[in-house]
Amino acid sequence: MEKRPYAILLKFPGTNCDVETARALETAGFRAEIMPFRQVVSETIEGANMVVLPGGFSYGDYIMAGRLAQLKIEHGLSASLERFMENGGYLLGICNGFQILMRMGLLPAGSLIAHPDGRFACRWARLRNRCPSHPFLRFLPDEIELPVAHAEGRFVAAEGLAESYVERGLATLTYQDNVNHSFASIAGLQDETGRVFGMMPHPERFLYRSQHYDPDWVGDPDWGWGYYFFKSIHDELAGLSREPGLKTHTNE
Amino acid sequence: MEPALLDPTYQRIPLRKSSDADLRNLSDERGLSLSLDDMKAIQRHFISLDRDPTDVELEVFAQTWSEHCKHRVFNAVIRHTVNGRAEVIDGIFKTYIRSVTETIMEQKPDFILSAFHDNAGFIRLDEQLAVGLKVETHNHPSAIEPYAGSNTGLGGVIRDILGAGTGARPVASLDVFCLGRPDTDPETLPSESVIHPLGLLRGVVRGVRDYGNRMGIPTIAGAIQFDDGYRCNPLVFCGTAGVIPVDEIEKQIEPGYRILVLGGRTGRDGLHGATFSSASLGEQSREEDQGAVQIGNPIEEKKAADVLLHARSEGLIGSVTDCGAGGLSSAAGEMVAEHGGEIYLDKAPLKEPGLSGWEIFLSESQERMVLAVKPENVDRILALADLYETECTEIGIVSDNGILRVSHRGREICRLDCGVLHEAPRQHLTSSHERIVPAPARIDSTPDFSADLHAILRDFNITSREPIIREYDHEVQGNTLGKPLAGPGGDCPGDAAVIRIDGSRRCVAIGLSILPALHADPYRMGQASVDETIRQLVAVGADPDRIALLDNFCMGNPADPDELGALVETAKGMSTAALECGAPFISGKDSFYNSFETESGTESIPPTLLASGLGIIESEEDILFTTIRRANSHICLAGTTGRETGGSVYERMKGATAGPAPSWEPDTAMGIYRRLHSAIRNNWILSAHDLSEGGLAVALAESGFSISAGMEIRLETVPADDKLDSAELLFSESTSRILFEVANESIDEVRRHFEGLPFAVIGRTSAEHRRLTIHHDDDLIINETLTDLKKSWKNGLTPYY
Repeated sequence: MEKRPYAILLKFPGTNCDVETARALETAGFRAEIMPFRQVVSETIEGANMVVLPGGFSYGDYIMAGRLAQLKIEHGLSASLERFMENGGYLLGICNGFQILMRMGLLPAGSLIAHPDGRFACRWARLRNRCPSHPFLRFLPDEIELPVAHAEGRFVAAEGLAESYVERGLATLTYQDNVNHSFASIAGLQDETGRVFGMMPHPERFLYRSQHYDPDWVGDPDWGWGYYFFKSIHDELAGLSREPGLKTHTNE
Repeated sequence: MEPALLDPTYQRIPLRKSSDADLRNLSDERGLSLSLDDMKAIQRHFISLDRDPTDVELEVFAQTWSEHCKHRVFNAVIRHTVNGRAEVIDGIFKTYIRSVTETIMEQKPDFILSAFHDNAGFIRLDEQLAVGLKVETHNHPSAIEPYAGSNTGLGGVIRDILGAGTGARPVASLDVFCLGRPDTDPETLPSESVIHPLGLLRGVVRGVRDYGNRMGIPTIAGAIQFDDGYRCNPLVFCGTAGVIPVDEIEKQIEPGYRILVLGGRTGRDGLHGATFSSASLGEQSREEDQGAVQIGNPIEEKKAADVLLHARSEGLIGSVTDCGAGGLSSAAGEMVAEHGGEIYLDKAPLKEPGLSGWEIFLSESQERMVLAVKPENVDRILALADLYETECTEIGIVSDNGILRVSHRGREICRLDCGVLHEAPRQHLTSSHERIVPAPARIDSTPDFSADLHAILRDFNITSREPIIREYDHEVQGNTLGKPLAGPGGDCPGDAAVIRIDGSRRCVAIGLSILPALHADPYRMGQASVDETIRQLVAVGADPDRIALLDNFCMGNPADPDELGALVETAKGMSTAALECGAPFISGKDSFYNSFETESGTESIPPTLLASGLGIIESEEDILFTTIRRANSHICLAGTTGRETGGSVYERMKGATAGPAPSWEPDTAMGIYRRLHSAIRNNWILSAHDLSEGGLAVALAESGFSISAGMEIRLETVPADDKLDSAELLFSESTSRILFEVANESIDEVRRHFEGLPFAVIGRTSAEHRRLTIHHDDDLIINETLTDLKKSWKNGLTPYY
């Protein structure tokens, strides 16, 4: 019997970070499977430990990013997704996946909108880990760095809400230099259960140390922060020890 | 009276009785871009068949014989004269490109796995995998519709990779633009239909961004040349690299295989792209030719790619090719060229009803791939298309009679012998070139080299491309190890991009060179472009003996002997250098008629060569970046600096008369590259940066942009072939030079390692300050903070993009 936690990645037309996200999940110990959306039925959702919505441009994102994918999911899979969550499943959305989760209303209210300058921005962002004991973040230090790449990642919400998410611990990740002018610098959110998790940065793009732009990066001798992100949730789902398996976190 | 004339699906063209004037008119009216000789050859063919062609057949000839598809100039016999000495060139392609590859194939067996005959060539990466690259131009469409032009330019070259072998996986893209200067005064443009360089820049960048980002292929390398020579005729190059299992490179096609079209539907959009791009632009082009330019739909292509790669992983694909210029006619026509085949146009899914036969067959609607598969695999592929929410339709069958038959509405509308179709008459052209090596330039300058360096770092052709690079997702797929911007702040320039390849421990470097500033000496321009491409690849850690090249030529009118002469000389120089370096060509492309006709005359681009290359990096540990990493390390320079400022940024900035263009010496070049590579493999090198535009001074400044240590340089130590003055040492753009950083503990070994080659330790890095200081003998000629220099470099494009 397969003991590895099982993650499925929903692939819409235009989803394009599925391969590297599956690779990251597998490297961290998951059994990961990419599922073209047309193939997804209730059983596939309910049979998984974690459902992942990877990055990309679902259906082109020509109208609000994530909107069509939201409607597609809600149309056929609402009930099974609800049962999946009730049964303790985890739901992770990265970049476009985060946009879809926001549109579905599964995360605290708000919106991810276009950047003020109207541009796409591919860069690395320094992030503050605001929930160091969270199942997705517990192996990560207080400050990490991950790539971002999006044109509609600016988090906005009704007045005061963004700040309240930070206070209540719903904002899991915030930008240190607010690269996209998000309210309260929010880069990632969780729901009240902690099992729905959305983030604009791409942990799957910083799996290996060699993916960092600086050859003298001293964060870790082998792995990038993304590895520890996926390793955190893997060990949680595999029921492994809560001791972080980090080799080093010290800067020379 | 032939009843077919009344049939709405096609017309018969009374070709047999046409006079020469009729033939010329026919070509013009239908936009066939065929010469009278071509028209007469087609006429003779139908006289021999004792019938007139249908409009479909005539269009198929025009498309198949177009410059765009058959590269007729590159295959033409050319009578070439250099400085009064005449020679006959039996085809530029055969003489200067294919022969290089054939020779190297013998020298390096099992390295080149495919060259020229497929949509992209491949070299061996490791036991299991091969890597290929293809670069295309999309100049005419981008000139009249920049966003759509570059958008479909990238979409098209991605399909080339998908259509290589039985379907390669696209892993990285590059883009190169040649445009007028961003500060061009709009009043000086010769026609209202010429788009200002800034409009072009914004359009073409966004076009690449929106296709590449949506497809999920990182755009990791590129260049922009700003030069007045391109103000009416911008050049847009898009390239994509792909990876494929070695045993999937050979296509297989047999009689009985089914022909399928996968992806987008066929519409009236994009008619006559192949023939349109085989003629020059004019004041009316904007309005007349817009129908030939399309808007891309990257998601449609992404779905097709997902289906194709899935199907290939299950071994379902016999043969695949993309629907590019010439549409189904070209794709299916080439696919069945050997066996013949039947195409049923009624089966092709259409965007709108009512298309005539030739429109369906010739339409260049985007995002379509053509497949040939065994009959038993058809159902599974159709199911995969359904799974990924796209369309795949069976439209024909491979036959065994050598005849291309096309039917529409129950009628046969095309019946052509594949052999005749693919034998276009050979053209004969004349070219000439006067090669003059000028005397060294005398540059009168007030010796304020600090100010000069700042000005050069701000120069449009040197300044940071960061605003544009950030718009491209260069990290998607999670394999970009050598990033376009790197170093401690993630904002320093790289020499070449590097990607890791899933399933291999080796990495692939992608580099490119485009040096139109050297156009006064095209032979040396050809050599220098090859040298720079190889140099960049070696600087990031690639093995100099495992490099493959691509050539992309662009020029104006091939009927102009001087323009063609310059092209021939460029090809010669390029060919010599590639052969000496053992770097084969695996793909290439040429683009002509990059000229703009106004009432006051014709404006052509300078003959332009984009050289690009792939290099194999043995292991991730070998990857190097450009910037200084340690204090108290040694700064070394390999290569000789010469009195050859011709075409340099410095010379242009000072408005001096052109001096000699940089020369090139193969043994020195390859000696340095091989020696540096073994030093890298020995872990002796901390960082490396190739010297290119702006010369030593710019390379030093850029190396310092990490701001990790100060740099103290002594110019008199620089290896030079004469007693050069400070300006020449700082700003000459001599070839084959690489700057690199060596730690104290390795410097003795490195010195010994480079014995017999031009090599010197030219300075040290320092923990005491963060300045670049350059002494020449007793004079301190540059003393600037690295932060200030970086500021000059970083912000040159910001006001414009």
